[in-house]
Amino acid sequence: MTPQAYFLRPPRIAVWLISLFASAEEAESILGDLLEEFSHLALKPGVAVARSWYWRQTVKTIAHLASAGFKVAPWSTTATIVGGFLLLRLVSGVPERAIFAVLHRYRVFEHHFNAYVFLATDGIGIGHVIASMFVGCMVALAAKGREMVATLTLGLILCALGGAAALWWVARSGNDLFLGMLLWQVAGSFAIVVGGGIVRTRRSAATALPSDV
Amino acid sequence: MPGRDYLGEFEHITILALLRLADRAYGVTVRQEIEFRTSREVSIGAVYATLDRLETKGYVKSHRGDPTPERGGRAKRFFRVTAKGMLAVNRTQRALQNMTDGLDLIRSYS
Repeated sequence: MTPQAYFLRPPRIAVWLISLFASAEEAESILGDLLEEFSHLALKPGVAVARSWYWRQTVKTIAHLASAGFKVAPWSTTATIVGGFLLLRLVSGVPERAIFAVLHRYRVFEHHFNAYVFLATDGIGIGHVIASMFVGCMVALAAKGREMVATLTLGLILCALGGAAALWWVARSGNDLFLGMLLWQVAGSFAIVVGGGIVRTRRSAATALPSDV
Repeated sequence: MPGRDYLGEFEHITILALLRLADRAYGVTVRQEIEFRTSREVSIGAVYATLDRLETKGYVKSHRGDPTPERGGRAKRFFRVTAKGMLAVNRTQRALQNMTDGLDLIRSYS
């Protein structure tokens, strides 16, 4: 291999995504293998072909890692996801209650109407996203080694349920106001996965192999 | 009942790739061997998921090589087929052979 090959780096986001879904040991072998083939492809057909190949491999590899992670411990992963769902039900109302308590306590409606409108609409949405991220972190802490599988599955289920509920509501009432809330629902689902990613990244850093540094 | 465990299609292909590659069998070579011989794009994730499953069943064993610079300082994971794996592949081969015996596949289905 020529020295030029050492300067070529695969897409960073792809590398990060694989390390999120793979254990430290798996990531060592998989990322090493991918880098070896990427370097060869980058020298012969070219960097663009190598990058596109790397991304294809990343997407397929993540799908396999996710499904393998679920198959290894299906019951405990399902229990964690159900627990996350119940926890979200428990905490999802907290931001709204807290915001309205503050709004009433300081009579924001009378003194700062615009702030009231923002907090009563987007503020609750932002609170929902923060609560979802908290739930994502809790689910990831419980699903040690399968953080991304558990949070991704929970996020997808909530997204699907939210989407179905929104469509049902719009079809029933003809009022598309609920579609705006769907955006916050999607953001909440994304926040759950981000929470999982944060816990996973912290754990990976704690158990990093010397070659990962 | 002993001898009931047959290999799945991709497990079978992966073990045959390990046997072909002998002591050169690690992620990259296994993936390329399967791609070359089956003419289908295979992901490294599929190869490792299968090899991990086969290792759990005791059909293959793995060991780490030395870290190399072209792999960003990461070690290769080499695989070899165990005696139990050889029995499983022979059993699967025999079953396939028995099922295809007497069938003229080329003339009937081409």
